[in-house]
Amino acid sequence: MSNEIVRATESAPLPPPEFSVDQVVFTPPIDIFETAEGLVLQADLPGVSSESLELQVQDNKLSLFGKVALPVPPEARLIHQEYQIGHFLRSFILSDEVDHERISAKLNQGVLEVVLPRLPKPEPRRIQIQTDSK
Amino acid sequence: MPVFRWGQSWDPFRDLEREVDQLLANVSLFHGIRFGRQYPPVNVYELDNELLLTAELPGTRPEDLEVLISGGVLTIKGKRSGPEGISDDRFRRQERSRGSWQRSLTLPAHIHEERLAAEFTNGVLCIRLPKSQGTSSPRQIPVTNGKPRNEGGPEKEMDDQPNPTLPDPQDANPQDA
Repeated sequence: MSNEIVRATESAPLPPPEFSVDQVVFTPPIDIFETAEGLVLQADLPGVSSESLELQVQDNKLSLFGKVALPVPPEARLIHQEYQIGHFLRSFILSDEVDHERISAKLNQGVLEVVLPRLPKPEPRRIQIQTDSK
Repeated sequence: MPVFRWGQSWDPFRDLEREVDQLLANVSLFHGIRFGRQYPPVNVYELDNELLLTAELPGTRPEDLEVLISGGVLTIKGKRSGPEGISDDRFRRQERSRGSWQRSLTLPAHIHEERLAAEFTNGVLCIRLPKSQGTSSPRQIPVTNGKPRNEGGPEKEMDDQPNPTLPDPQDANPQDA
């Protein structure tokens, strides 16, 4: 299992290059629940707008990177701090059962919702039996 | 590639950070900072003419959010519920907090209560607390010639004064509790 962790960390996507290092990056908390159609993933990304959110599916990996904008003007001085502001980064491995073509996502009040529909089960196919008629 | 499975049925996920998360959740520097104290944690910023108080409340509907002010105490209340019609056994993973919360904060004295404004953008609440006139520029206090006192008095009294210009808001229930 410890091997798993190492590999997981290594395979996490790197943030885009313009990302400044003085900022913190958080793993956002998520919920995953099942519906009749498939799965729904919700992630808390406070401060991320749809323009600053990157959601990617490559091969079987779903990764999200949300860039946070400061909620205050840049000249504002922080005088009391109880939480840190940071960008959000997290990735997941999707199985083949997810219909990658039909993945959809929306962002509302700082919550990302990704709908992952299940691939339709292939219809049973009748196989014609041939006989050597000779 | 090994796939971590939980639950019996269809499980297309293997969350890369799952194990790491769980380790962190137990030791929990992260949770300690964010949730160990009063909820929600707030930051306060200062501009020349106002203070800004911010809190991260993703997924809270604006109609479930209440901001009240009374007698120098700011109270924020809200709730976040889970998705409708989804029972708990449908969850594969549940890390996001939900429920009702309330927090009160004592405002510094020089805030213009009537002109307080709040906005909620991308799940971040920002409350603007305009400073009232006159406190941003230093006020001259005339010193008059008083009668001489008994010794031992003045210095000690000065030390007992709280710093009146400190803008740091503290949690509610100041001295009365």
